[in-house]
Amino acid sequence: MDRNTDLIVIGAGPAGLSAACAARACGLEVTLIDEQAAPGGQLFRNIETPMAQAILDPKDRETGLALVNRFRSCGATYYPCATVWGLEPHKVSCTINGKAESFSASYIVIAPGGMERPVPFPGWTLPGVMGAGGADILLRSGGTLSAERGTPVVLAGNGPLLILLACHLLNAGVNIAAWLDTGTWGRRLQSGALMPAGILDAAYLGKGLGMACRILKNRVPIIRGVTGIRAEGTDHVEKVLYEAGGKTHEIATRTLLRHEGIIPRTHILNSLGARHAWDTVQRYWYPVTDEFGHTSVDSVYIAGDGTYVHGGDASLLKGTLAGIEIARRLGVISNDEAHYRCAPALRALRRTRIARGFLRYAFAPNPAIFDLPDDTLVCRCECVTAGDIRKAVAEGFLDVNEVKRVTRCGMGQCQGRMCGPALAELTAAAQAKSPAAVGTLQVRQPFRPVTLENYCDLNIPK
Amino acid sequence: MQNTATPTVHITLDGKPLEVPAGISVAAAVLGHAHAEHTCKHPVDGSARAPYCLMGVCFECLMEINGEPNVQSCLVTVQEGMTVRRQLSGESA
Repeated sequence: MDRNTDLIVIGAGPAGLSAACAARACGLEVTLIDEQAAPGGQLFRNIETPMAQAILDPKDRETGLALVNRFRSCGATYYPCATVWGLEPHKVSCTINGKAESFSASYIVIAPGGMERPVPFPGWTLPGVMGAGGADILLRSGGTLSAERGTPVVLAGNGPLLILLACHLLNAGVNIAAWLDTGTWGRRLQSGALMPAGILDAAYLGKGLGMACRILKNRVPIIRGVTGIRAEGTDHVEKVLYEAGGKTHEIATRTLLRHEGIIPRTHILNSLGARHAWDTVQRYWYPVTDEFGHTSVDSVYIAGDGTYVHGGDASLLKGTLAGIEIARRLGVISNDEAHYRCAPALRALRRTRIARGFLRYAFAPNPAIFDLPDDTLVCRCECVTAGDIRKAVAEGFLDVNEVKRVTRCGMGQCQGRMCGPALAELTAAAQAKSPAAVGTLQVRQPFRPVTLENYCDLNIPK
Repeated sequence: MQNTATPTVHITLDGKPLEVPAGISVAAAVLGHAHAEHTCKHPVDGSARAPYCLMGVCFECLMEINGEPNVQSCLVTVQEGMTVRRQLSGESA
């Protein structure tokens, strides 16, 4: 099956849905492909179910439902439950319900969103240790973090989303035993200079402060300047150990949630060889694009947190801009019309970027979180340790791809998604360099596991 | 926690019946509703593992679903009558 349309959107989060709606409003024929069963992405996951609505705050719920309803009625062809494993300009290969399918289009918008920065630490492979975002998904699925309600949970890390997730946990009646803060005060002071611009987005600032007050009111114990986090237990986490104030502390818990900020998901664009840049403060790679999300690969656009992490409402704007710009490039709307349609979103996006500039510093990851003991598993799939990586660098393998080949770090089923950032940090630190100077993991297609049958269906001429 | 308005589906986990809300992922059902301690034994080092990200990144939630091994269970929605098995032998398929 091969279908040709004007635009293929990959991803049904805020950016993908708004890109599809904006392009449809201009009269384009749009196909949207997503891996989840229902639209919403991560931010508005399961938004059409009461379980998820129960833990979201009313404004997020309203925005999310309005967007999903707008998408459902916009006339785009929608393929949920699809695994996209191959992409080239104008062509997408995926598996839907076990069948290989290919789609072609004049333009492609990728809206991969962000993911939690994976940060290894001793014991992070123990069951009971999860990303804070993963725990949030469990709550939205009507589940609980442990069989007995009220069992204490430990949060560890740094980032604006951790505040939101903590509020969701409180909404769900979870008892937060401790919040281990790994952020750095040097960066937070730096953010002070940019803070006044936050007033440009007073509603957002107010929301953040409101959430912080709720956490304080619930008397969540916050421990600052935490380093050396490790989880211990037999086949399940039983306790968390950490250093603070020059001493080692211990908390008994069955659940440890780690969060060190959100990074763009760059896997698909990396496999196309698109140009990326390194953010020295947030310590992640992001694709180089214009204001409309046009990547260095012609006809391929990116929207949402996949371009740079600005948050959900910025993602809506980025999606809208990409959808309109593609309609202009196809000649469906005139330059003047595109200019008119884009103006409000462009203005709002610029204001949001300025207003949130301080977040980049306030929640900068502390490079010390990658200062791991030699026996820490870095690559969860292939069981490669920090020591293995340092040894490879000492032997003269200086680029992440060289280290990958000799250690197998990044060669497992997750294809380096979970270990990539740490591999780069460790490889760079061992040479006293910036991670920007040791290369990026070469991502090869298919970028998701696919059966040989499905692969051959699309790649072997019949 | 479970809303009475939420429709449910029946699946089996390692042969045991389980009733969970419709529309959620298999990984969320096994972890958040059945509270399985772990979902697999790692094929490389044999250690107990459980889902970490629940959004398709970490590949720690691989389970056998309706007889097909190594499925990313966080990306599959529960269906009435689904058979789910944890991969506890440590053998790679």
